[in-house]
Amino acid sequence: MAEHTLIAPITEQRATELRRSPAEHLAAQFAAAEVTGPHSLALREVPFRTMVGLRVVPGTDAARRVEELLGTPLPGRCGGVAICLGNSVAAGSSVLWLGPDEFLVVSPLGSTVGPAEATARLVEALGTDPGSAVDLSANRTTFELAGKAARDVLEKGCALDLHPRAFAVGSAYVTQLGPVPVLLWKTGSETWEIFPRASFADYLGRWLLDAMREFHGAR
Amino acid sequence: MLLISCPNCGPRDETEFHYGGQAHVAYPEDPNALTDEEWGRYLFYRENPKGLFAERWVHSSGCRKWFNAVRDTATYRIAAVYRMGETQPSVTGGAK
Amino acid sequence: MADLLPEHPDFLWRNPDPKPSYDAVIVGGGGHGLATAYYLAKNHGMTNIAVLERGWLAGGNMARNTTIIRSNYLWDESAAIYEHSLKLWEELPEELEYDFLFSQRGVLNLAHTLQDVRESVRRVSANKLNGVDAEWLDVDQVKEVCPILNTSDKIRYPVLGGTFQPRAGIAKHDHVAWAFARKADELGVDLIQNCEVTGFVKDGNRVVGVQTNRGTINTGKVALCAAGHSSVLAKMAGFDLPIQSHPLQALVSELHEIVHPTVVMSNHVHVYVSQAHKGELVMGAGIDSYNGYGQRGAFHVIEEQMAAAVELFPIFARAHLLRTWGGIVDVTLDASPIVSKSPIENLYVNCGWGTGGFKGTPGAGWTMAHTVATGEPHPLNAPFSLERFVTGALIDEHGAAAVAH
Repeated sequence: MAEHTLIAPITEQRATELRRSPAEHLAAQFAAAEVTGPHSLALREVPFRTMVGLRVVPGTDAARRVEELLGTPLPGRCGGVAICLGNSVAAGSSVLWLGPDEFLVVSPLGSTVGPAEATARLVEALGTDPGSAVDLSANRTTFELAGKAARDVLEKGCALDLHPRAFAVGSAYVTQLGPVPVLLWKTGSETWEIFPRASFADYLGRWLLDAMREFHGAR
Repeated sequence: MLLISCPNCGPRDETEFHYGGQAHVAYPEDPNALTDEEWGRYLFYRENPKGLFAERWVHSSGCRKWFNAVRDTATYRIAAVYRMGETQPSVTGGAK
Repeated sequence: MADLLPEHPDFLWRNPDPKPSYDAVIVGGGGHGLATAYYLAKNHGMTNIAVLERGWLAGGNMARNTTIIRSNYLWDESAAIYEHSLKLWEELPEELEYDFLFSQRGVLNLAHTLQDVRESVRRVSANKLNGVDAEWLDVDQVKEVCPILNTSDKIRYPVLGGTFQPRAGIAKHDHVAWAFARKADELGVDLIQNCEVTGFVKDGNRVVGVQTNRGTINTGKVALCAAGHSSVLAKMAGFDLPIQSHPLQALVSELHEIVHPTVVMSNHVHVYVSQAHKGELVMGAGIDSYNGYGQRGAFHVIEEQMAAAVELFPIFARAHLLRTWGGIVDVTLDASPIVSKSPIENLYVNCGWGTGGFKGTPGAGWTMAHTVATGEPHPLNAPFSLERFVTGALIDEHGAAAVAH
């Protein structure tokens, strides 16, 4: 078959050039929506992060091998986020609790370990035991919403208690924002990362722009 | 709107959940051995009490796990929440 | 003070105490119970009968629906019973000598996807074969029937066309109940309110009476017409029904000028909208997901149907919601009713109408009366027996006929 291929295989570099993020078309609107002053707001898409879905039951041998690879115990409760100390998957990766036996390994930006490699290492750690590691990098994109009014914006469509006493910096919850299922991760005192699935990114991006509008005149 | 306590995630809005109907309905051990009446009952008949009802929910916009609840179908009050595989806790009261 | 009040109008029916014995007792004084009583008396000459109502007449689902009347169902069995019902609706204002504002303004069932279009066209063909008036309208024709509808192709689920049944429409629900009640009362039927059935008296497997909070009443036959509470009553009588009870909500807006000429239903974006005679917009949608006898549901269900309504009718965007309410609908797995004998001798059940009970009122009454009077089903309700949940001869109207649950 191969010798009859008419289209040249796409190089990795070409693939990177061709790649389009789910909310790329909203970038200019996001930038224009920035608010400064006492109700500051900034919204941007952080595309193409490595995200590996991990299914493993904590306390099992497979989980222990995965924890060794990651350099951290798996987070043990809803909202929990563990920071990887090992560098075999990617130094500084975070492991987000999605469910009692489901986690999301999120690599930091600029990671040198690609999604395929990170996934392969986790698969290897699981061995033949029950569990799975799947490259889900294309499943979700990331919105970063930051600023003094960020919590006000999110509170318009999220039923969780977003007050710092209930939602601490460094915790992440699976929930809904408006009608959209998201992972909501508080990465700083005024910074939130929001992971919608790619197909919801356009809707959620516009939803956020709409929710931010009232603060434009309030500076 | 119901506030439902997921055993894994704590209290969340009803919109994060989907309903699964009556709990503890076992699949027949040998469906081929059933009469048409018995198969019909398994397929189409479920309890429908006015009062306490053991039922299934799934936290679809959360941890994606199924669990059971005992809820009063007249007042909508949730009397107990328990994990799949756990025995139904004994709860009294409920509407008549 | 008393002489300042206007004279009390004539009562439309007597308020009798229960007699010790009747030839037949109907449990449930809603639309279906009253229609069953009326047709038992009129068609079958059974006048020594009583309707027992726990609360007040027509205070359950009859007071809580969106009054849509249509017969454009897919399957032959459904089309037959609902079309019979529609023909009765057309005769009833004159027959009952009561103008209950039956308005045949037509019903549009919108199609928003190619699959919707295929199903709609199929249903129109099936309707025509069954003698039901139905036509497929393209977008321009839809716009002609209902000019305020948003037929732009810029919305998430653009309208691709719709089915139209011109003879369908709406009626004033409480007037319908009063009309049936008055005529049944005239024919000698006892309508007994505040009379709750608390048990059944059986001789072996045969029902011979009912226990109520107003004493035991002997009866030769019992007809259950209790919609959402059917399972509770059946359990009391010693059998189960393949029914789940769910909250179903609806709502009205403030009064507006008359702008909406027909009834619009959309399964895909999930809302149905009409404008009642006084001018309030009447809307409803799907059931709340869980089993419930609470006659109330969650606000997010209302919110979703409002979003759908505003997308379809931008003109309603600033209308104010005035009142919401909930009924208890009795849902079967095939979304079709049960009008049937039961495992208990001389006890008959009429239930499982789900969200379609109002339009079926006369048809249910007609066939239930026949079943109770003769002990055998009428040809129209024979397919709607309990046996179908054993034989598998389901009448699967889920989605087939814009059934909203």
